[in-house]
Amino acid sequence: MKDAAVIKVQSDPKYLSLIRSVTAKIGELYGLSEATIEDVKLAVDEACSNVIKHAYGGDTNKNILVKYRVTKKGFEVLIEDNGIKVQPESIEGRSLNDIRPGGLGVHLIKRAFDIFQFDQRKRKGNRLRLVRFTK
Amino acid sequence: MKIEVKDYQGMKVMALSGEIDMYSSPALREEMMGLIHKRVTPLFVDFKGVSYIDSSGIATFVEGLKGMMSYGGRLKLIGLLEGVREIFGFSKLDRVFEIYGTLEDALTS
Repeated sequence: MKDAAVIKVQSDPKYLSLIRSVTAKIGELYGLSEATIEDVKLAVDEACSNVIKHAYGGDTNKNILVKYRVTKKGFEVLIEDNGIKVQPESIEGRSLNDIRPGGLGVHLIKRAFDIFQFDQRKRKGNRLRLVRFTK
Repeated sequence: MKIEVKDYQGMKVMALSGEIDMYSSPALREEMMGLIHKRVTPLFVDFKGVSYIDSSGIATFVEGLKGMMSYGGRLKLIGLLEGVREIFGFSKLDRVFEIYGTLEDALTS
């Protein structure tokens, strides 16, 4: 894998700040603007929070793998877990006009990344592929 | 994240600092819902020290607002930094929350 970075963290919410810090630093190294870094950092945090909540059902003793790389398309982040398989069709945020707790995270991920895709080739667990196109 | 509840002219001000995420929001929820169960109103939340908020933090405030609305209470958010304010705007919640620049602004409204 060329020009890439990988981190593996325990599925404990206390490590989300670490994921955010690494994401911001990687974004800086890859030349993303400050505003983009903020959006991407929040989106990766939301995606990892979803892994803890949904794929691992709150189990804080599992692993989350986050891979960052620059491809021809742009800035790519892969988030992998070995938890419960996510049904992509079941992922839909609430309408932003519907004021209630929850359902906002997926909107925050999709505003930062142009591609939001689960890799169906992964047999156990999930691999979420996020790509932000180089503008 | 640090949470400090202060009394100001007989009213409650919850001053927050640090980052609000899935790790810190349960403590925030517990503190805020404790005040709401006591039917505190108005409740001022001072965001000046908050550098980051994610959807779990936003959800905590939506839950708090709904709880306060049940008894006619007022939740007033003050001093939001640009990045935090932008998240409230993106989620269209700046229309439902009372958001003020300063405590003085919030007191006179």
